[in-house]
Amino acid sequence: MTTIRRFCCNDLLRFASVNLDHLTETFNMSFYMTYLARWPDYFHVAQAPGNRIMGYIMGKVEGQGESWHGHVTAVTVAPEYRRQQLAKKLMNLLEDISDNIDKAYFVDLFVRASNAPAIKMYEKLGYVIYRRVLRYYSGEEDGLDMRKALSRDVEKKSIIPLKRPVTPDELEYD
Amino acid sequence: MKPLPYGPSKQELMVVRVFEDHRIALIFQNYSPKKMSRFSPFSHLCVLCVSEEAENNALSLWIGMASKFGLAGGIPERKVRPIWDAIDSRQFKNALKHVTTLLSKHPNSPYALALKALVLERMGKPDEALSVSLNAKQLLYANDSLLMDDLTLSSLQIVFQRLDHLDLATACYEHACSKFPNNLELMMGLFNCYVREYSFVKQQQTAIKMYKLVGEERFLLWAVCSIQLQVLCGNGEDKLLFLAEGLLKKHVASHSLHEPEALMIYISILERQSKFGDALEILSGKLGSLLMIEVDKLRLQGRLLAQAGDYTAAADVFQKILESCPDDWECFLHYLGCLLEDGSIWCDEAVNDPVHPPKFVNCKVSHLTDEEFDSRLSTASAFIQKLQADTSNNLIRCPYLATLEIERRKHLCGKGDDDHLIDDIVKYFCRFGHLACFTSDVEMFVDVLTTDKKTELLEKLMKTSGTSSAAPTKKLGLSISLFKIKQLLLGDMFKSSTSDLELSCVQMFEMYCKNLPLSKDLDPQEGMHGEELLSMTCNILVQLFWRTKNVGYLVEAIIVLEFGLAIRRYVSQYKILLLHLYSHCGALSVAHEWYKSLDVKNILMESILHNILPQMLVSPLWTGLNNLLKDYLKFMDDHFRESADLTFLAYRHRNYSKVIEFVQFKDRLQHSSQYLVARVETPILQLKQNADNIEEEEGILQGLKCGIHFLELSNEIGSKSLTFNEDLQTRPWWTPTSEKNYLLGPFEGISYYPREPLTEDRDTSLKRVIEKKSLLPRLIYLSVQSASASIKEHVEVNGSVTPDITLELKLLLERYAQLLGFSLSEATEVVMGLPNGERSSVVSDSNLIDWLNFTVFLNAWRLSSHELVQSDVNGCRPRIWDILDTSLEKYILEKVRSMEPQVCSPWSNIELLIQLVTEPLAWHGLVIQSCLRSCLPSSKKKKKSGSAYQSSSNLAHAITDSVRHLSHVLEDVMKWIKEWNRRPEDENLESILILLRNNEGPGQVLHNLETFISSMNDAELGDRIFHSLKSWSPADVARKMMTGKLKVLMEFSAICESKFKLLQSMKQQVAQP
Repeated sequence: MTTIRRFCCNDLLRFASVNLDHLTETFNMSFYMTYLARWPDYFHVAQAPGNRIMGYIMGKVEGQGESWHGHVTAVTVAPEYRRQQLAKKLMNLLEDISDNIDKAYFVDLFVRASNAPAIKMYEKLGYVIYRRVLRYYSGEEDGLDMRKALSRDVEKKSIIPLKRPVTPDELEYD
Repeated sequence: MKPLPYGPSKQELMVVRVFEDHRIALIFQNYSPKKMSRFSPFSHLCVLCVSEEAENNALSLWIGMASKFGLAGGIPERKVRPIWDAIDSRQFKNALKHVTTLLSKHPNSPYALALKALVLERMGKPDEALSVSLNAKQLLYANDSLLMDDLTLSSLQIVFQRLDHLDLATACYEHACSKFPNNLELMMGLFNCYVREYSFVKQQQTAIKMYKLVGEERFLLWAVCSIQLQVLCGNGEDKLLFLAEGLLKKHVASHSLHEPEALMIYISILERQSKFGDALEILSGKLGSLLMIEVDKLRLQGRLLAQAGDYTAAADVFQKILESCPDDWECFLHYLGCLLEDGSIWCDEAVNDPVHPPKFVNCKVSHLTDEEFDSRLSTASAFIQKLQADTSNNLIRCPYLATLEIERRKHLCGKGDDDHLIDDIVKYFCRFGHLACFTSDVEMFVDVLTTDKKTELLEKLMKTSGTSSAAPTKKLGLSISLFKIKQLLLGDMFKSSTSDLELSCVQMFEMYCKNLPLSKDLDPQEGMHGEELLSMTCNILVQLFWRTKNVGYLVEAIIVLEFGLAIRRYVSQYKILLLHLYSHCGALSVAHEWYKSLDVKNILMESILHNILPQMLVSPLWTGLNNLLKDYLKFMDDHFRESADLTFLAYRHRNYSKVIEFVQFKDRLQHSSQYLVARVETPILQLKQNADNIEEEEGILQGLKCGIHFLELSNEIGSKSLTFNEDLQTRPWWTPTSEKNYLLGPFEGISYYPREPLTEDRDTSLKRVIEKKSLLPRLIYLSVQSASASIKEHVEVNGSVTPDITLELKLLLERYAQLLGFSLSEATEVVMGLPNGERSSVVSDSNLIDWLNFTVFLNAWRLSSHELVQSDVNGCRPRIWDILDTSLEKYILEKVRSMEPQVCSPWSNIELLIQLVTEPLAWHGLVIQSCLRSCLPSSKKKKKSGSAYQSSSNLAHAITDSVRHLSHVLEDVMKWIKEWNRRPEDENLESILILLRNNEGPGQVLHNLETFISSMNDAELGDRIFHSLKSWSPADVARKMMTGKLKVLMEFSAICESKFKLLQSMKQQVAQP
């Protein structure tokens, strides 16, 4: 049961049950606020009856030419509301906005190479592993760059996997 | 496109404008003079919203042109570059060298001076930096022919901001704008200055000027936002909104609007003036198409219609939303509200604290006739049934829960049918009972049932779950929901018998163990099936402890959770429960370790820190506490510093609603109760830590401006409205807020579930605490001064007295007494009665520290107010001094003697003991040090005032007496701590584990666990879980508990020892001839 609405600052004080999860990063304030100030349509929260925060998604849209794309920075769901396809719902929302409003070519995201459950979930949602980013997470763990093509990328060029892994400094965007 | 060697990265470039004459203007995201210095600044800078692709084309064009320019603040760019490179690589000395060279050629260049100031500030020379930047400012003002470029101004701005002189930066921009009134670039800089200063009126004026100059929509919106901020966050009256509306209306008529956020602001301005009709007209007109997300537009439309009282149309709109988003619960509530013509949900939104929204929807008593009411609800039912039929997705809960809400509304109007409601809940259980959120979903609906009906519901639910032939994980989910709903329905924990509760614990724990094989193939990162069972078991065990006061249950609760974390170490719910349990048992160091493992950082500190901070504040774990306070304050202060720049970012990106939100949020955090507590407690901690060395303490006090600043805080606090941002839902049932711990009191039935925070009570009591605490630094300062003044006065018979100190101390004592609920003379009487065997009725454990602190300061004041001569009949100390020593001794030894050095004894008395030693005793120690220092001159002064000590022999005796007295007290405390350590570890462990080895009472869960561990094999559980099981032992948990407790005591012992040494050294000083 989900009311999905734009994320607002006050939600930062209510998302503890979600962020206490060990895989959910709590960023500094300027990070959240930059996203809110620049891409408020890419930052949504899901709320349950009784006004409980169920989970949220934050992302952005960036790139040039055919790299113009939506990016999922974080998507997370509180333990109480897992196994209800909420992440899927939130991802679909971001994809819709990237596709229909911003006319992006694809949506991408980074995931820890060790986070098997998440990789499996993204694959189910239609994402493919585009490339491996060596030591992306704090210079230790590799990250996987996963992508899903949107309607503007008719030939699905954006998701043809790269043959070799890249290093973080080769990435086009932060 | 390849990155350029010195070009800004694409991410930093925000907006580009190409003029007709091919000049280009740029704005950067992380606008820094550094970037600008590498390319020429443009004297006429303008910003235009362009698409991403257009930006890229413009960027390429600009790169080609940029090389043609080459002046930075009137200085060739190549000469400035080495300075920035040096700053970049943090070679500040090198940077300074370059700047000096540059200045030798351009001695009067404000830009070069600004750079020098920047370097000096980075080198940690704020005074020099300020003087150089003031010099630059002066030059800017003096020489009108100089280029007033934004580059110089923004460099200066950075320095001034870092030096905490926003006003000076603003003054520079104001001056520049007055010299060049039509320069948009400078005006934007000035606007930004006002954003940083939160000067909403001046923001508005500047934005209007810009708007008049170029007529762009965004500048108008900047002005409108500034007006809204005056009304929402300043003292602006509501009628200002009418002005904003007028501005917008005029602009729309001539230019229309082009940004969705501009429309949102327009509508919010109308909404706030209750002009719902106007807002609706705009929304349904051409401008409405700006809102690209259809559902968002409909939601807005529905809200406006409802507020306008057009409930029929509003209900239609919400119905439409539900058709496309059938799971939108909030929308359903709006829909139902509109059908019943009840607008209270919108009124509540305005009144409620957005951080703690209520769990339940308030609803008005319906004014509809019976027929109307029935027909509306049957309309709703029909629609909901259609929704149910249309939804194929079996995870959509809203249409099913909606039937419950409809029944609830009937109930609230006295038309409910319990059997219907029960049936609906049972149906909901069959469909969604396996979900973890089932209980919280139905919580508000079972609430309307009578006790008998609740029992009936429970029976039905049990029957249903018994017949279910679901998959094992689903079955487990159902059983968990059943346990939870049982507790909820019957207030189970408080009414059931002890043996029933014990049985429940065993059952839940068994269920957890039996279902472990279900999780054997899960990734260790994933939540396991049935994890909740262990927190539920723990909750009941703690309940059993509260009832029986048998510590064994507490130990068992800890063991259960530690076991759970051994199986999977990421369950934050267990960690929070554990940290409270360990805190309660006194093993605070272990609690702190678990807290750290939660990785609470950034904004989470604001909502989660309350779980550990209060315990740490009264503990001897000063290093840990210091880190907690430091990290938290740094986070908050960083936010306050950077928040305005982020607000400006929202302005630039034309996300106006976020502008308002950011400013309101900053206000909210600035009024945070926890922030104020941390600000007051930080200096108090420093004072505690340095109390054994008066010179160092005086250094700390100097750093605190002798406590003046906190005095101001104390004066202001009453008029401030505090915000409470803690997430109380994370706390365990037995301590719903940090001020409340049921386990410390006698057993009583409480309905802890559901619970709502009691903000109002907390506001008043916390304000008093902060008001009192923020007096402490000043009181300590004045007491030290007063003590030494008393001696000097004594020496120089006709010398200058320090009436200011004495007078101020008296005034503060009056205030302190008032905060304790008395006048100064009444409070003094209470103090006089302190040592009289029987305890005064006004002094209790909860205010003992305050009373003794008061006595310390009272004594210090009396020293300089001529009471010195009237010594006690029985001794040489002044009367109050004697009372103070006696009381400290009495209360400290009372605590020590009341506590057996047992690992499992209750801890709250130890907390008080620690406070007695680290607060009143420490402050009193300072007063003695101050007296002694004044009457025992250092070797240099010896000749001049050698007679001081002798002439105040009474005082010398007083000091000797007091030192002897307090030394004995501390010796006793240290002896007592040693007792704890004396017993061998095995014996200590045994004393914990024996609590769980009885045939009845605590230990049954552990017994089950041990049987389970011995019976399992790796095939069933999988390697990982099996290995964790096998390597786990309850003795390890007991050891952890014990060592944790001892660690805290050792820290306390070290504090006592340090104080004891100080007293010894004073004893020697006094004894020297």
